[in-house]
Amino acid sequence: MSFAAIHIPDFIVQAIVRSQPTLRGRAVAIVDGTPPLWSVVAANPAASQIGIELGMAKSQAAQFTAVEIWHRSVAQEKTAHEALLDLGWSVSPRVEDTAPDTIVVDLAGLGALFGSEEKIAHELATRGTGLGLSARVAVAATSIEVAVLAARGFPGVTLIGPGEEAKRLSGLPVHRLLPSFEILETLARWGVDTCGALAALPVIQLSERLGQEGVRLHALARGAFERSQVPAKPSVYFQEEMELDDSVEELESLSFLLGRLLDQLCERLAVRSLSARAIGMEFDLERFFEKDLQRSAHPGQQKLIPRKFEKILTLPVPMRDAKLLLKLVRLRLQSDPPPAAITKITMFAEPDRPRTTQRGLFLPASPEPEKLELTMARLANLVGEVNVGSPQLMDTHRPDAIRMERFRLAQVASASGRKKKLSASSFESAGKKSFRAHAKKPANGFRFFRPDVPARVELRDGLPARLFFNGLRGEVVAASGPWRTSGDWWQVPWDQAEWDVEVRFSTSSQKVKRSVNSFHSAKSANSRGLYLIYYDARQQGWFLRGSYD
Amino acid sequence: MYTELHVRSAFSFLAGASLPEELASVCAEREMEAMAVLDRDGMYGAPRFYLAAKKINVRALIGAEVTSEEGWRYPLLVESRQGYQNVCRLITRMKLRAKKGEGQISREELENGASGLICLTGGEEGPLAHALASGGVEAATKCVQQLGEIFGSRNVYVELQRHHCRDEEVRNQRALEIARKLNLPILATNGVCYALPEQREVLDVFSCVRHHRTLATAGRLLARNAERHLKSTAEMQKLFDDLPEAIANTQFLAARLQFTLNDLGYQFPIYPVPDGRSQMQFLRDRTHDGMLSRYGADNERARKQIAHELDVIEKLDLAGYFLIVWDIIRFCARQNILVQGRGSAANSAVCYALGITAVDPVGMELLFERFLSEERGEWPDIDLDLPSGDQRERAIQYVYERYGKLGAAMTANVITYRGRSAAREIGKAFAFDVEVLNRLTSLVGAWEYKDANDTLERQFQDAGLDLQHPQIRKFCELCLRFQDLPRHLGQHSGGMVVCQGQLDAVVPLEPATMPGRVVVQWDKDDCADMGIVKVDLLGLGMMAVLEDSLKIIRDDYGEEVDLSRLPANDKWVYSTLQKADTVGMFQIESRAQMACLPRLKPTCFYDIVVQVAIIRPGPIVGQMVNPYLKRRQGREPANCLHPSLEQVLARTLGVPLFQEQLLRIAMIAAGFSGGEAEELRRAFGFKRSEKRMKEVEYKLRRGMEKNGIVGETQETIIRSITSFALYGFPESHAASFALLAYASAYLKCHYLAAFTAAMLNNQPMGFYQPPSLVTDAQRHGLRVRPIDITCSDWLCTLEKIDGKFAVRLGLRYVKGLRGDIGAEIVRQRAMHSFTSVDDLKRRVPRIQKEELAVLAEIGALNKLGNQREFHRRSALWQVERTARPSGPLYERSDDNGEDVFVESSLDDSGTASSPLAPMNAEQRLVADYRGTGMTVGPHPMSYHRAELQKMGVRCAAELARLPDGMHVRIAGGVIARQRPGTAKGFVFLSMEDETGIANAIISPQLFEKCHVVVVHQQFLLIEGQLQNQDNVVSVKSQRIEALTITHAPTTSHDFH
Repeated sequence: MSFAAIHIPDFIVQAIVRSQPTLRGRAVAIVDGTPPLWSVVAANPAASQIGIELGMAKSQAAQFTAVEIWHRSVAQEKTAHEALLDLGWSVSPRVEDTAPDTIVVDLAGLGALFGSEEKIAHELATRGTGLGLSARVAVAATSIEVAVLAARGFPGVTLIGPGEEAKRLSGLPVHRLLPSFEILETLARWGVDTCGALAALPVIQLSERLGQEGVRLHALARGAFERSQVPAKPSVYFQEEMELDDSVEELESLSFLLGRLLDQLCERLAVRSLSARAIGMEFDLERFFEKDLQRSAHPGQQKLIPRKFEKILTLPVPMRDAKLLLKLVRLRLQSDPPPAAITKITMFAEPDRPRTTQRGLFLPASPEPEKLELTMARLANLVGEVNVGSPQLMDTHRPDAIRMERFRLAQVASASGRKKKLSASSFESAGKKSFRAHAKKPANGFRFFRPDVPARVELRDGLPARLFFNGLRGEVVAASGPWRTSGDWWQVPWDQAEWDVEVRFSTSSQKVKRSVNSFHSAKSANSRGLYLIYYDARQQGWFLRGSYD
Repeated sequence: MYTELHVRSAFSFLAGASLPEELASVCAEREMEAMAVLDRDGMYGAPRFYLAAKKINVRALIGAEVTSEEGWRYPLLVESRQGYQNVCRLITRMKLRAKKGEGQISREELENGASGLICLTGGEEGPLAHALASGGVEAATKCVQQLGEIFGSRNVYVELQRHHCRDEEVRNQRALEIARKLNLPILATNGVCYALPEQREVLDVFSCVRHHRTLATAGRLLARNAERHLKSTAEMQKLFDDLPEAIANTQFLAARLQFTLNDLGYQFPIYPVPDGRSQMQFLRDRTHDGMLSRYGADNERARKQIAHELDVIEKLDLAGYFLIVWDIIRFCARQNILVQGRGSAANSAVCYALGITAVDPVGMELLFERFLSEERGEWPDIDLDLPSGDQRERAIQYVYERYGKLGAAMTANVITYRGRSAAREIGKAFAFDVEVLNRLTSLVGAWEYKDANDTLERQFQDAGLDLQHPQIRKFCELCLRFQDLPRHLGQHSGGMVVCQGQLDAVVPLEPATMPGRVVVQWDKDDCADMGIVKVDLLGLGMMAVLEDSLKIIRDDYGEEVDLSRLPANDKWVYSTLQKADTVGMFQIESRAQMACLPRLKPTCFYDIVVQVAIIRPGPIVGQMVNPYLKRRQGREPANCLHPSLEQVLARTLGVPLFQEQLLRIAMIAAGFSGGEAEELRRAFGFKRSEKRMKEVEYKLRRGMEKNGIVGETQETIIRSITSFALYGFPESHAASFALLAYASAYLKCHYLAAFTAAMLNNQPMGFYQPPSLVTDAQRHGLRVRPIDITCSDWLCTLEKIDGKFAVRLGLRYVKGLRGDIGAEIVRQRAMHSFTSVDDLKRRVPRIQKEELAVLAEIGALNKLGNQREFHRRSALWQVERTARPSGPLYERSDDNGEDVFVESSLDDSGTASSPLAPMNAEQRLVADYRGTGMTVGPHPMSYHRAELQKMGVRCAAELARLPDGMHVRIAGGVIARQRPGTAKGFVFLSMEDETGIANAIISPQLFEKCHVVVVHQQFLLIEGQLQNQDNVVSVKSQRIEALTITHAPTTSHDFH
C-alpha cells in the first residue's frame, strides 16, 4: 500500500511557464491585482535570488531588468492543475486532488504495469516534464501525508521506506505541517522549529497544551499519521475542443463542426442527467497581419499572443437539445461573426439540473422559454445584442444613462416580484427621494433618438435660433435651458448643456415633410416639434437627444 | 450689483471645498463688496473669513446653516449682535446635547432665539424645498408662513438658486408663486460650495468620504455639474435677467446686515476680590507680597520694574487676567502640582513675583515689552507648563469648575488634510485596495527636509503607482488640492478660554470626544485674533518626570529635594554638560545639542539659557551659531554691531541670539518704543506681510539715520533683524526651559535611579526611546532589573541591591498586558506571593493566554518554578497548559454553578521541568525586544564584538580618542534618524553600541544612493572619515551597509 505524492513547486509561476516554454530557466515574477495596481504574487527561485519579493509593486519589480514579469492567469493554473490530474490518472485511476499544486496517486497494484515504486516515481517525473511541469515526486510506503510532506519538502524524487518516516521528516521545518497560525506561533515560542523537535515532545503533555490538533501534528511529524485516500471526483466541467487543420471561414462549414461538438457535449450531459445553463465558445483566430495580433497586457512584454474570439450563450432555462442549441449559436454568430478564420474551437457547457417543473394551469399564457429565447436571439441578430432586454436606469446624473438588463420571463410572470426588484435596485441611493418625486409627476412622453442625431445650431444672443439636422432646417420658436450636467471627471468625463426647443420647420417639399414626420409621432405630424438638443463640450458639437410627444 | 449671501466654506466639513481666505480673495476678484459665509451648524470658519476679508476690503457677513429636527437646514444670516449671540447659543444648545458632529434644533428653540436673524428659504436642503417635495405648493406656502411667524415676515427672504437644473427651476417657479402670494421679497444666491469651478472635484470626493462611497458607486450623491462656484455680478445678472429684483435685493439685504465680528461683546471674567477692594489693588498687594519673598525689601531695581509693570497692567485693565492666572497657580500649589509659566510671561517681574514664572526677569534684564505693551492692544499670552497626564487634567477641571460649563472651554484644533490622510481618503474614493493605500501612505515622505526629488509624484512612483495612468494622475492632483483643507475639529492640547458671563454667546461650544470637556469652535489663533483671552495649560513630560523623581527620592531615598532651591553651580552638572553626556536631559539631549555642548562648555546658568536657544532654526538659519561658538572659544573677537549696542549684545558676545535683543537693538539704534519694537517683531514674524514689513523697515532706517547709524552697519543691523525675527527664540522662554534643563541634569547626576525610573514611567517623551535610556543608565553604573511577576509593580520602581539603588522595570513595559490586569496582579501579590503559573491564573482569572505567554517569554515568570532549571521556555510550557480551557471531564462548578479553574491532574503544576530547551542568548534578546521593546541584558552589539573587531570596527567610546580625519568603520543599532529642514538634505544618524552613541553624517548624494538601507535597516556598518573637533565626534559617511546582528525587533526614533 504505497502512495506517490506529486507536487509542483512555484505552481503559479510554472502554470505560466508551461505555456511559454521560452521562459524556462529565466527569472519570472507573476503579478496580480486590480489594474493599475498590480503586485507580485509569485516568483521562482531565480527571481527571488535577484531581489524580487512577494507584495512588491509591479513598477518596483520592473526595475529588475533580468526578471520576466507576467500576469497571473487563473485559467492557466486551472489547466495546469488539470494537467497535473491527468499526470496522476495516466498511471492510476485512484488519484487524490490534494491541492492545486499537489496530488496523491495510489500505487497499489501498479507494479506489474510500471515496475518498482522508484521506477514509477521517475516515470511520473518524466511524464510531468512532458506535460510542461517540473514535478517533485515522493513515494511513501505507508502514509499519504508522509508522501505529501516529502514531496513538498524535498526536491527531485524521494523514496521513504517503512520505518524511516520519522527520521527522514525530522529535518523539515515545522511550518510544512501547515499548523494553524496560533499553534505555529506557540511552537516558535517553544523553540520547536523542526518536525524532529516536535516529534520529540511527550504526546500526552502536548495534547494538554495544543489539543487534538497538537496530537495530529505530532503524528504527522513522526510520519505516523494515517488517513484514507480521497479519490478525485470526475470533473464538473464539460469541455470539448477541436483543432482545425485548415482554418474555417464560412458560417455553414463552422455550423457543421459546432453541431458535432454540441452533439458530444449534450450526449455527455445526458449521461450525467444534466442540461446546459450556458454554452461557451472560444475561437482561436488565424494570424494574417501584424495588426491582427494583440500585445500582451504587460507593456514591457513584447511577446505577441494569439487573438481570440469568445462567445457565451446564456440560456433562460437549462437545455440539452442539440438542434435548438445549434440554432441559437448560429443566430448569435450571424449577428456577431468572428472577424477572421478560425483555427481552433473550444466549447464548454455549464452544467445544471434539467428543468422538470410543469407550468401552472392557471398562469397566464406565455411563450415556452426555449421559444422565447430563440425569438430574443433573432431580435438580437436584427438589432444588436446590446439593444435587447429591459432598460434600467443607472444611478448617475449622466443623461440617457441606462443599461439593458436581460429580459427574464420569470419576473414578468410575477408582477409584484418585479415591483420589488425595481424598487430595490432603482432607489438605492440618497437620490431616491427626488426619483420618487419625479416619478409622481405627470411626465411628458419623450422619444429618444438612438443614437443621438448630429445637428447644427445657430445661436442668437447665446440662445439657439436655428436648428439643422438630417437635411432639415427649423426656426427655434422657444427655448429653455441650458440644463447642464457634467461628471465622471476621474475617468471618462462628460459635459453637456441641454436645451428644450420648440422648432418650426420649413416644410416646402413632400420629402422634407416625410422626414419631419419620421421624427414625430404619427399624431403630432405637423411642421412644428419639441426637441431636446444638447451641446457636448467634449465633442464640441450639437446633437438631438430626442423629441417630446 | 450682486452680493453673494449663501456660501459654504470648507469649514462646513466635507460639504464645502474652499478655505474662507480663498473665497474672500475670489470675492474681491469678482469685485463684490460683501459676501456671507454660512457654514453648517457652526461659526468654524467665521474668524478666518472675517480677517481675510478685512484685509482686502470685503465686508464679511456672517451666518450659519442650522439643521432642523425635520432634517432640513435653515440658512440664517446675522443682522445684529443679538442675532449673532442667538445663533451661537442655538448651535451650542444643539451641539452640547448630541453626539460629536451631530445635533438638531427644534422649532421652539428657534422661536426663542430668532431675533436679529434673517432666514432664507434655502436651496435644495432648505425648508422650502423640503416642504415642496413632501406636500407640494400648499405645504410649502404653509412652511414659509411659519418661517414668517418665527422670524417676522420682514426677515424672511424667498431664496432662488439657478444651477441649470430642471428640477431646481421647477422649484424656483413654485417659490416665486409663494413669494408673490405672501408678498415676500425674493433673493438670488448661488448656494456656493467652492470658489472656482474646478474645485467641484474636491467636493465630489468629500461627498464620497461623507457617505462612505467610492466615486464609482456614489451616483447621484455627486454634484450634477460644476455651477456652485462664486459667480460674478454679470454672471448672476444674466442668470436672473428675468428677475432683476432678486439681484437687487441682495444689495438691500447686505446693507441691512450690519453685524461684523469686530465687536463680539467678549468680556474677561472679574476675579472676586475680598473686602470690597478693587482688582488692581488686590493685585498690587499680592505682587508686593511676592516681591518681598522673591527679591527682599531693598531691591530697588525690582521695585521700580514691578511698579512700571503694574502701571501698564492698570492702564490696560488687565488686573483680572493676572489674578485668574495667579488663582490657577495657587490651586496647583495647594494640590502639590508642579507648575511653571513659560513664554513671554517670563519677561514680567509681576509674573515672577506672583509665582507664575520661575525666572527672575530683573536679574536677567529681560524686556517686559516683549510680554506686554500699551501700543499693542492685545491680551497677553501666559502659557503654564504642568506635568502631563492626570495633574494637568486636574488643573483643567478646576478652571471648568470655577467658571462654569458655559464660561470656560478648550480651544479647538482644526485637523486638516496632510499628505497621508489626503492620500488615504482620496484613495478610498478611487476604490484603491487597502494594501495599496497602506503602501502609499507609508511611503508618503515624512522627513522635515524635502529634497527636490522628494515630491508627491516620486512617492507615488515608489508606491508602485503609474503616473502615466490618467486616474493616478488625477489622484495625485487631488492629493495636492486637499492639503490644508479642514477634516474635522479636534481639541487643542491645553489652550483654555474663559469669559465673563456666557461664552456660548461669543462663540458656539461643542462637546469634545473626551468626556467632561467642552471646546469652542475656533482654534487658538482665531481666539487670539478675535480678542479672546487664552490661558495655555500645557502638559510637559519633563514636568511629570521631575515631579515623579521628587516623589521617588522622597519615598526611597528619604530625602526632600526642592527644585526652587537646587544648588546653583553644581560642578558635577556642568562637567556632565561639557562632556555632552546628556541623554534624557530636557532640551539639551538631542544630537545637535550634544554636538554643541563640548564647544560651548557651559559653566553657569546663563550658558544653559544660551545652549537651549542656540540650536534653533533662527540662529542656525541666521548663521549665528558658529560665530558665537568661535567667540566663546576666543577664536574671533566679540565685536558688537555698533558701539551703542554693546550693552545689549555683550552677554551674547556680540551675536544676537534672542528676540529681546532684536527689540532692544531697534529701541537703541532706531529709537523705537517698547511697543513699536514688539510691532516690528510681529511684522517680521510668522504672519508677515510685505507691505507691513516695508513700512517698519522704512521706520527703522529713518530712526537709525537719526542716530547716525548709516551705511554697512545699518545694512548689517537690518539684515540680522529681518532674518532673525522669524525664528528667534525669546530669552525669557529659553530661561524657563533652562531651569528645567538644569533641574533634569541635576537629578540625573545625583539621583540617577530615581530619574531613570521617572523617565521610564513617563514615556513616550524626549529624544530617546526607552532602550536607549536604559542602556545609558547602565553605562552610568545603574543596575536595571528585568520585569519579574514576583516583584515588579505596574510602574518602574527602585530596589536596593548591595546598598545601591537599582531600577526594577514595571509591568507597563509588557507589550499587550492590560493596565487593569497589571493592577490586579500587583494587588493579588500584595496579599500573598504567587506560587506557580497555575496560582497566577487562578487568582487573576481575567488574564489572557497571550498576556501570560508574553510574561513567560520575557522571563517574568521564571521565579514561579520551584526548580533551578525553570526557565522562560519552562514557563511557556506551563502557560500553554494553564491557559487552555479545561475539557468537560476536568471542569467542576462551584456552588453557584460558576465554572472554576481546576488544576490538571495529569501533569505537574508548575514544578516539573519541561521538555523544551532553554532559550539561547539570541532567542532571549528577540523575546525581550518583542515582549518589552528593550533588553536589560547585554547590548545586542556586544555579542558580536570580537567578530566586529576583526572587521576593524571601532566601538563608540573609542572614537573620541582617535585623531581627526582618520578613516574609520563604525557599527551599531540606529537609535535616531534626522533630516532637519535646516541641514540642506544631510541625514544625521545616532548609532548605539554597548559603549555609547556614535554619530554619522550622510550627504544627500549618499542618502539618495543608500536610501532604503538607511531608512529601513536597524543595524548599520558605516565607513567614513572621522571628524573630531573640539571633542565633537562624528563620522562623515562614505559607505553604508546593513548589518545582521539580531532578529530582535529593535526600534529607532525617526524625526520627521
